[in-house]
Amino acid sequence: MERFFKSDFFYDFLRAPVAIISFCVVALLVLSAIFAQFIAPTNPFDPASLELMNGFTPPMEPNMFTGDVFLLGADDQGRDLFSAILYGLRISLFVGIMAVSLAMVMGVLLGLIAGYVGGWLDNLIMRLADIQMTFPSILIAMLIFGVARGLLPPELRYEMAITVLIISIGLSEWVPFARTVRGTTMVEKEKEYVAAAQLIGLKRWQIMIRHILPNVLGPVLVIATITFALAIIAEASLSFLGVGAPRTEPSLGTLIRVGQDFLFSGEWWILLFPALTLLALALAVNLLGDWLRDTLNPRLK
Amino acid sequence: MDDNLLEVRNISVTFKNRYGTLKALDNLSLNVKKGEILGLVGESGAGKSMTGAAILGLIDPPGHMSSGEIWYKGKCINDAHEAIRGREISMIFQDPLMSLNPLRRIGDQLLETILTHMNVTKSEAIKRARKGLEEVGIDPNRLNSYPHTFSGGMRQRVVIALALAPEPSLIIADEPTTALDVSVQAQILDLLKNLCKERGTSIILVTHDMGVIAQTTDRVGVLYAGRLAEIGDTREVLTNPKHPYTKGLVDSTPRIDANSFYKELYQISGTMPKLDAMPNGCAFHPRCEFAIDKCSKETPQVFSDRAACWLLENEAIVE
Amino acid sequence: MSFVQAKDLTREYDLSDPFIVRTIAMRPKRILTAVDNVSFSIEKGTTYALVGESGSGKSTIAKMAVGLLKPTSGSLLVDGKNLNDPFLPKEEKLALRRRIQMVFQSPYASLNPRWKVGDIIAEPIKAFRLINDHASQINRVHELLEQVGLSTSDVNKFPHEFSGGQRQRISIARALSSEPEIIICDEPTSALDVSVQAQVLNLLKSLQKEYSLTYLFITHDLAVVSTMANKIGVLNQGKLVEEQTPENLFSNPKKAYTKMLLNSAPNINF
Repeated sequence: MERFFKSDFFYDFLRAPVAIISFCVVALLVLSAIFAQFIAPTNPFDPASLELMNGFTPPMEPNMFTGDVFLLGADDQGRDLFSAILYGLRISLFVGIMAVSLAMVMGVLLGLIAGYVGGWLDNLIMRLADIQMTFPSILIAMLIFGVARGLLPPELRYEMAITVLIISIGLSEWVPFARTVRGTTMVEKEKEYVAAAQLIGLKRWQIMIRHILPNVLGPVLVIATITFALAIIAEASLSFLGVGAPRTEPSLGTLIRVGQDFLFSGEWWILLFPALTLLALALAVNLLGDWLRDTLNPRLK
Repeated sequence: MDDNLLEVRNISVTFKNRYGTLKALDNLSLNVKKGEILGLVGESGAGKSMTGAAILGLIDPPGHMSSGEIWYKGKCINDAHEAIRGREISMIFQDPLMSLNPLRRIGDQLLETILTHMNVTKSEAIKRARKGLEEVGIDPNRLNSYPHTFSGGMRQRVVIALALAPEPSLIIADEPTTALDVSVQAQILDLLKNLCKERGTSIILVTHDMGVIAQTTDRVGVLYAGRLAEIGDTREVLTNPKHPYTKGLVDSTPRIDANSFYKELYQISGTMPKLDAMPNGCAFHPRCEFAIDKCSKETPQVFSDRAACWLLENEAIVE
Repeated sequence: MSFVQAKDLTREYDLSDPFIVRTIAMRPKRILTAVDNVSFSIEKGTTYALVGESGSGKSTIAKMAVGLLKPTSGSLLVDGKNLNDPFLPKEEKLALRRRIQMVFQSPYASLNPRWKVGDIIAEPIKAFRLINDHASQINRVHELLEQVGLSTSDVNKFPHEFSGGQRQRISIARALSSEPEIIICDEPTSALDVSVQAQVLNLLKSLQKEYSLTYLFITHDLAVVSTMANKIGVLNQGKLVEEQTPENLFSNPKKAYTKMLLNSAPNINF
């Protein structure tokens, strides 16, 4: 740990205002999501706590019927928007992280195999990747989502919504990982330390995991950060389109969809605050990812 | 010093990093006469490529030439590098693959060089390009070929033609034959040598290979840790080295002669210091078997225009 | 029979266009013969140098010697056994691998940059199960580090903290850790400075004396060969053109190619 704080990487970090600010924003949002139960004044997922009369209350104004005050206003069903955003962040972040992890594991493994083993297996994996890349990832996510929903019996559909969401986004984002890892693997494969490992009789999978994997992970971190931003937006888009997180456990995307309906009738806050939160999160993650890519790059030379 | 084409006067090149300032070149001085081939020899990190880059103003930030002057044909060119580069001073790099644009025919690259630096018509430029190729031993009809159709040695010939095209007075050749096979290496060096003697062009030949120095250069400068250790007539320096480092280098070079079969090679103990861990006084003293007390305290100056070593101090006074 | 015996060793590469293209365009097959019927033998405890320029096939022979490449025809036997024999049982193959090791040309690419030096050197010990308890493994690694002139505190460092010459020493320590009998040295000093080269060559020589190692020394540098080899084989485009002791080769080269090599080598003697 100490080594990290003394490293060149940390030194560069402290000198990049963009990185520091983005990191703080992300950290703030993540911590808020983790401690949502303690910060949020109400539990927006509990239908019993909702008071329909609180619907459409503007921010910081007492409700004319109940007198309750909401920090960021209330939505059409009387949900405290601030709490809804915090809990919604949870879902967005959770789906984002899990989807990225799935995409990363799948992409790195496939990339390693394609790069190291080569031959027809490499061809197969790369053609699969090409086919997948011709479709927009949202469409693929929707396809997988639709198929999964169709396959599941109705009782499970609601509970599995989040899982299916994760799988569909994850499966649509593995290709950049695989391609990059494959390229790096093909370069590393020719290096003499791999030959040295072959000389002592190591099996192929042992060489791939022990020797090559640690050396191809560099760019993977950068791709993961950027894919994370994409996953969050994908989740929001899917929820916005109505095929993601349900109304009763809304994610940021769902909240935006709901808010959109009411934007032009004057209840602007229902759309604005979730949208701003999503914007802040995606922007900060993207900027952090960009900075990471630039800092880690010259060193790779 | 009128027959000096180039004078490097006390230049230092420094780099700033998070830990402090590093001196890649420290108070280095040397000169190149008209029409001579000066060798710059040293091991990795000694600063020989850095010297060539400093002369041409090609040092990338965060490095910069922090002190000293470079004089060319009697004028100081510290701030005039752009105009001098290419026309008066040419450079040949080590890897011919990287010096030639793989997407352009060699004829285009030659023409571009000629037209940029010389005031001639296009047809005149083509004539010169063809003549240039002929002189380096390549069929002039190959003007329209791409670099990848040539072998490594032939590509380096093209690079030499490129370097000679603007009729420079000085060529800096940075390890021009290191990436080539031994047999090709000899041809390229001979070619370079002959062409330059014909035109009276001076060469600074940067290399780590003592054999190349012996066979190609008139004078040689030995660099160690960014400082000049010894400079002088090649034969003299190699057969009678005055600086202990030069002596160590010469002795540890393997030779093909009956006396050395299966014998242990002379080796200098230790390694060249890193720039951020330079010893006090003479940079070489921790590895030197002749070191005296003064060596660890003060950095030696160059004595008798020959070597930077305190052991020569008394000889200089006697002279 | 000599300790190492290469007989009619050949390696071909098929560079032909795909079958369909060939039949339609009526082009012949293109076969590149990287190694062409090379035969040599090495006595135990001696150094055999293979000298050649790029494209001579010396690196291909090195790879076949350690079993990284299969010959198209011919054989290379070490102590009578063939590493490329498909019928060799697994345990015997592993045992044979232990006896043949390699030191590579590039000090930068031959050590895994993400592994600690101690782990790099210990890997063969673990793979060949030479020492099983952890503490003895560490002791052995310390021993090897000192033998190649490095210090025991280097165990936890990473390769990038070392210079080129030191990295080659680590490579040598790794090769020694499996207690081999023959080491293939593939241009081990070509990427090193002159003074560092001298240190590494001297180290190789002293290790050979101490452990009666056999070396197959691949290089393009005739001067280096003259200090290392008991016998020299000159390779030209896959063929072994001449094979002599150093004294005979340098004083009385028989083939034109050898003479050309000797003449073009830049010599520090005037």
